[in-house]
Amino acid sequence: MNSYLMFVTQAVFNVALVLAVAPLLEGIIRKVTARVQSRQGPPLWQPYFDLAKLLTKEDIESGEAPAVQRFAGYLSLAAILTVACFVPLGSQPPLAVVGDGILLIYLLTLTGVATLLAGFAAGSTYSIFGASREMITMLALEPLFAITIVMGALKTQSLDLVGILNGSAYVSNGFPWAGTLMMVVLLFALQAFVGRVPFDIAEAETEIMEGPLVEYSGPKLALFKYSQMVKLFVYCALFAALFAPWGSGLIFPLSLAVLLLKVLILVLLVTLVAATHARLRIDQALRYYATLLGVGFVALLLALLGK
Amino acid sequence: MLKLSKLKEAIICLKAGKVTLPYPAGPAPVPSGFRGRPVFDPDLCIGCGGCANNCPAREILISDVCQEIRIIRYSGQRCTYCGRCADLCPEKAITISHEFETATNSIEDLRQEIEVFMGTCQRCGRCFKNENPLNDLILKGYRADDLAANRWVHTSRSFLGEGDFGDLKIELD
Amino acid sequence: MPARQVLNLIKQRFNGVIHRVDIPEDSRLLLYTGRESVPDLCRFIFRDLDARYVISIGIDDRPYSGNFQVAHNFAFENHHVLCSLICNLPAEDPQIGSISPDVPAANWAEREFRDLLGIEPVGCPSMKRLVLPDGWPDGVHPLRKDVPWDFRPKDYDDNRIYDFDEPPEGCTVVPFGPFHPTLDEPSHFRLFVEGEIVRGCEYRGFMVHRGIEKLGDSVLTYNEIPVMAERICGICGCVHSVAYAQAVEQAASVRPTTRAEFIRTLMLELERLHSHLLWVGLANHILGFDTLFMQSFRMREPIMWLCERITGNRKTYGLCVIGGVRWDITPEIKADIIRVLDQLEKEWVKVANAVKGDRNLQKRTKGVGVADRTLVKEMGLIGPMARASGVPLDCRKDFPYAAYDKVEFDVITQEGCDVWSRVLVRVLEVFESIQIIRQCLERMPAGPIQLDLTDELPAGRIGLSSIEAPRGESHHFVVTGDDNRPRRWRVRAPTYQNLQGIPAMIKDKPLADMTIALGSIDPCFSCTDRMEIVDLRSGKVQIFSQQDLIRLVRSSGSAEQTV
Repeated sequence: MNSYLMFVTQAVFNVALVLAVAPLLEGIIRKVTARVQSRQGPPLWQPYFDLAKLLTKEDIESGEAPAVQRFAGYLSLAAILTVACFVPLGSQPPLAVVGDGILLIYLLTLTGVATLLAGFAAGSTYSIFGASREMITMLALEPLFAITIVMGALKTQSLDLVGILNGSAYVSNGFPWAGTLMMVVLLFALQAFVGRVPFDIAEAETEIMEGPLVEYSGPKLALFKYSQMVKLFVYCALFAALFAPWGSGLIFPLSLAVLLLKVLILVLLVTLVAATHARLRIDQALRYYATLLGVGFVALLLALLGK
Repeated sequence: MLKLSKLKEAIICLKAGKVTLPYPAGPAPVPSGFRGRPVFDPDLCIGCGGCANNCPAREILISDVCQEIRIIRYSGQRCTYCGRCADLCPEKAITISHEFETATNSIEDLRQEIEVFMGTCQRCGRCFKNENPLNDLILKGYRADDLAANRWVHTSRSFLGEGDFGDLKIELD
Repeated sequence: MPARQVLNLIKQRFNGVIHRVDIPEDSRLLLYTGRESVPDLCRFIFRDLDARYVISIGIDDRPYSGNFQVAHNFAFENHHVLCSLICNLPAEDPQIGSISPDVPAANWAEREFRDLLGIEPVGCPSMKRLVLPDGWPDGVHPLRKDVPWDFRPKDYDDNRIYDFDEPPEGCTVVPFGPFHPTLDEPSHFRLFVEGEIVRGCEYRGFMVHRGIEKLGDSVLTYNEIPVMAERICGICGCVHSVAYAQAVEQAASVRPTTRAEFIRTLMLELERLHSHLLWVGLANHILGFDTLFMQSFRMREPIMWLCERITGNRKTYGLCVIGGVRWDITPEIKADIIRVLDQLEKEWVKVANAVKGDRNLQKRTKGVGVADRTLVKEMGLIGPMARASGVPLDCRKDFPYAAYDKVEFDVITQEGCDVWSRVLVRVLEVFESIQIIRQCLERMPAGPIQLDLTDELPAGRIGLSSIEAPRGESHHFVVTGDDNRPRRWRVRAPTYQNLQGIPAMIKDKPLADMTIALGSIDPCFSCTDRMEIVDLRSGKVQIFSQQDLIRLVRSSGSAEQTV
C-alpha cells in the first residue's frame, strides 16, 4: 500500500513537473530563435500567457464532428501526460509497476492518433490533408522508438521499464555498435518526433493552413498546444533516459537538475536546427525517414547478434 | 548535418545582433523630412483655397459663410499625408509635422478649422480676389456644399460635357 | 526610324486596312484600323512579327467622337517600339472579333473590357465574368462615361453565385484562398487535386477592386493622380506613379527635366532593391525558412529609412508630378545613399553565396513551377519569370525611359525556368540595381527638378509607357483630356500577365509546390485588381452573403463615412 502511495505521488509529481516546465522550454525555443533572427523575441513566459489566453476564449464548435474534436484534444494531452508518468524524471519511472515497454510504445503512438482524430473529425479539406501527412509520418517514425525499446529489452532480458530506461541500449554493458547507431538515428529523428522545422510538414502554416488544427480555437486549441509542448519535454527526457542516463543515480533534487540540464541541451539543439533549415516536402521527408528506418533495422540486427 | 552554407547563414545572423526597437515602449525617431499630419496656421492663411483645390483626397473643404468670412476645414479622415497642400500654400501657412500617431476614438480630434476674415476693398467694400497664379484654380475646384455633412461639390465644367453643365453634385455618404 | 520600320513590315501584308498612322515619337506607333481587320492584324503581329502582347483596352469615347474604341497594345523588343492598334466601334453595336484564340494572353483583357465597358469580344473562349462581382446586375458597365463614379446599383443580387468549373474525373477540390496565410491579398485558386498532385486550377480574383481607373478619369486631376497611382501597389508604388507621369508626358510631348529623370531612375532602383529583398524573405517564409526571412527584412530596413529621409515616407513617396519630381537629392542624402548601399552590398554578397550553396533550399525550389519559353511567349509572361527562362525581356533596355539610357547595367538571365532560377535572378539583380544607383548619383546634372508648365495639356492624345517594375513590365495607357484630367487611364500591372501562367505551371505537380510556385511570380494582387467601383463593402458582402453583415456595415456608416 505504502509503495503504491509513493508511486502515485511520484506520478503526480511527474505530471506537475512536465506541465509546469514544458511551456518554459517552448519559451526558450522562441527566444533563442528570435536571437538567431536578430530580433528581441517574446519574453520567456510568453507560452504561459498564450495558454492562459486561449483557455479564456469562447469555445466555438466548428468542423464536422465537434464531440470527436473535443475528445481528440483531451486524448492528446492525456496520452502524453501518461507517457510522462513512465519517464524517469529525477527518479525511477513512477508507473513502471503497472506498465512495461510495450505499453510505452503504444502510449507514444496514441499521441499521434489524437492528432489524426483531430484532423479527420474536423472534416475540412486542409485538416484532412494534414491528417494524412501526419499519418504517413507516424507510420515511418514510430517504429524507431519501438526499435530502441526492443533493443533495451534485449539487453536487460525483460520488458521492465526501470531497466530499459536506464541507458540500457547504450551504456556500459549495452550494445556498443547497435547502441551508438541507434543513438545517432534517434538524434536525427528527434526533430521529426517533436514536429519542428524541417519536419513540421503536417502543420505547415503557409501551405495547408495549420493542417489538422485548422478548425481548433480557444480552449480546445490550448489543449493541443499544451500537449505539443509537453511532447517536446517528454521526448527529450526519454532520449536522455535511453542514451544518457549519467547522473540519474544521484539523490533526488540533483538528479532532477541533471535531467533538466540534459533536456535543455537537447532543446537548444532542436532550436538551432529549426532556425537554420527550410521545411521539407512530404516526399523528401519520407525518403529521409526511410533511410533512418533502414539504419534502425540494421542496428536492431546488430543488437540481436549481440553487438 | 551542418553543411557549410548553413554555417555561413548562421554567422550572418549572429553577427547582426539584435535590431528590433522597443517601440512603443520607447520612442521611434523619424527623419527630418518625414511627412506626417499637416498643421494649419490661422494667422498666416489668406483664404485662397489652393489647398482645397488640390487635395487629392478632397479632405480640405471651403465654405463661404458670407462675403467676408470663409471657413476652411481639414477633416483628417482620408488624408494621405501627401504634402501637396503644404507645397502649394503661397503663405506657408501649412506645415507638415512629424505626427504619425493619429489613432483616436473620436474623429473630431483630427479636425482643424480656420475662420478667415477676407480683406475687403476700401472703395467698394467687396472682398477682392487676390491676383495670384492660383486664382485660376478657384474657378475649377471643390467647395463644401454642406459642411455639417462633409459634402463637397465639383464646381467646374463637368467631364460629361458639351456645353455648360453647371454644378454637378457629388455626394459622400 | 524604328517605328517606321515596324509600320512598313505591317504594311507589306496589310496595306489597305490601316486608316491612319500616328508616330508621336521614335518608339511609339499608333495604328488606326477598322474592326473587321483587327483579329487578322493582331494574329500577324503576334505570330509572324513575333511581337509581345501587352494589353487590350476598351475606351468609352462617346462624349467626344460618339464611338467606343478598343486598343490592342503590342511590344516589339527587337525594334524597341511600343505599338497600339486602335479601332472605333459604333455606340449602338460595340462588338469586336476576339483575338484570344490567336493570342491566349489576351483572355483576361477581353473579359475585362466586356465586364466594365460592355464591349463584346465575339468568339472569346471564356464567357465568364472576370472583374465584376457575382451579384452585379447585367448591362450596367461601370467604366462607361454615363455611370457616375460612386454609383451603387439598386438591383444588386446577393444570392447569385459564380458558375464554377467542374473538377475533372477523380479529383477533389482544394480551395486555395480567398483567405490563406501565404497570400497577403485575397484571391481564389480553386485547385483540382488528385491525391497530392494538382490536375487543374481555376482562378478568380479581383476581390479588392478599388475603382482606381474610374477615379482617375472622373474625379482626380493630372497632378493628383500620381498620389493615387502609387497606392495601387503595396510595394511598387513608385513604378506606377512614374509610369503614369511618363505616359502623360509622352502624350503631351512634354519632356521632364534631366535631373528629374535621374531622380526618378534612382527612386525606381531603390524600389527594386527593397522589393527584391522582400521577395527573397517571403519566398523563404513560404518554404518554412523563417531565419532567412528575418535576415532579408533586417537588411532591407535601412533602405526603407533611406526612402523616408528622401521623400518623407517609407513607401508612398509622392514623387511624381507631370514634368518633374517633388523631392531633390541633397549632398547629405547622397552621402547617406552611398553609405547604405555599401553596407547592403557587403551583406548581400554573403547572403548570395550562402543561398547559392544551400542544398536544403535548392531541394525545395529546383524543378518547381516550371515555365518554359513556349509558355512565356503564349501567355506573355514578363519580368523575372521570363528572364529565369532565358528570355531577356527588360523594359529598361528594350524601351529606355527616364535616365536608363545614360547608365550601364546587365540584364540578368538564367536558363533553369524554375523557381530556383527566379531566386537567382532576383538575388543577382540586387547587385545590378546598386550599380545603377551609384552611376545615377555620379552622373546626375544640377538643375531644376520640375518643369514650369504654364499651358494646359492638349486633349485627345494617346500616351503609352512601359516601365520595368520589380515584377515585370508595368504598362500605362493614357488618353489626355480637358478639364485637367485624362479621359482614359489604363494600368496593366505585371502580375496581371504573370498570373495567367499559373494554371500551366502547377498542373501535374505536387500540391505542396503550389505556394512557392505562386510566390515565385512575386504576386501583387493589389496591382492586378485595380479597376472598378466595387465598393469593398459590397465585395465582402458578396463573398459571405450574410444579411446581418450588410446591415451591420451600412448602419455603422455615418454621413462622414469614406468611400
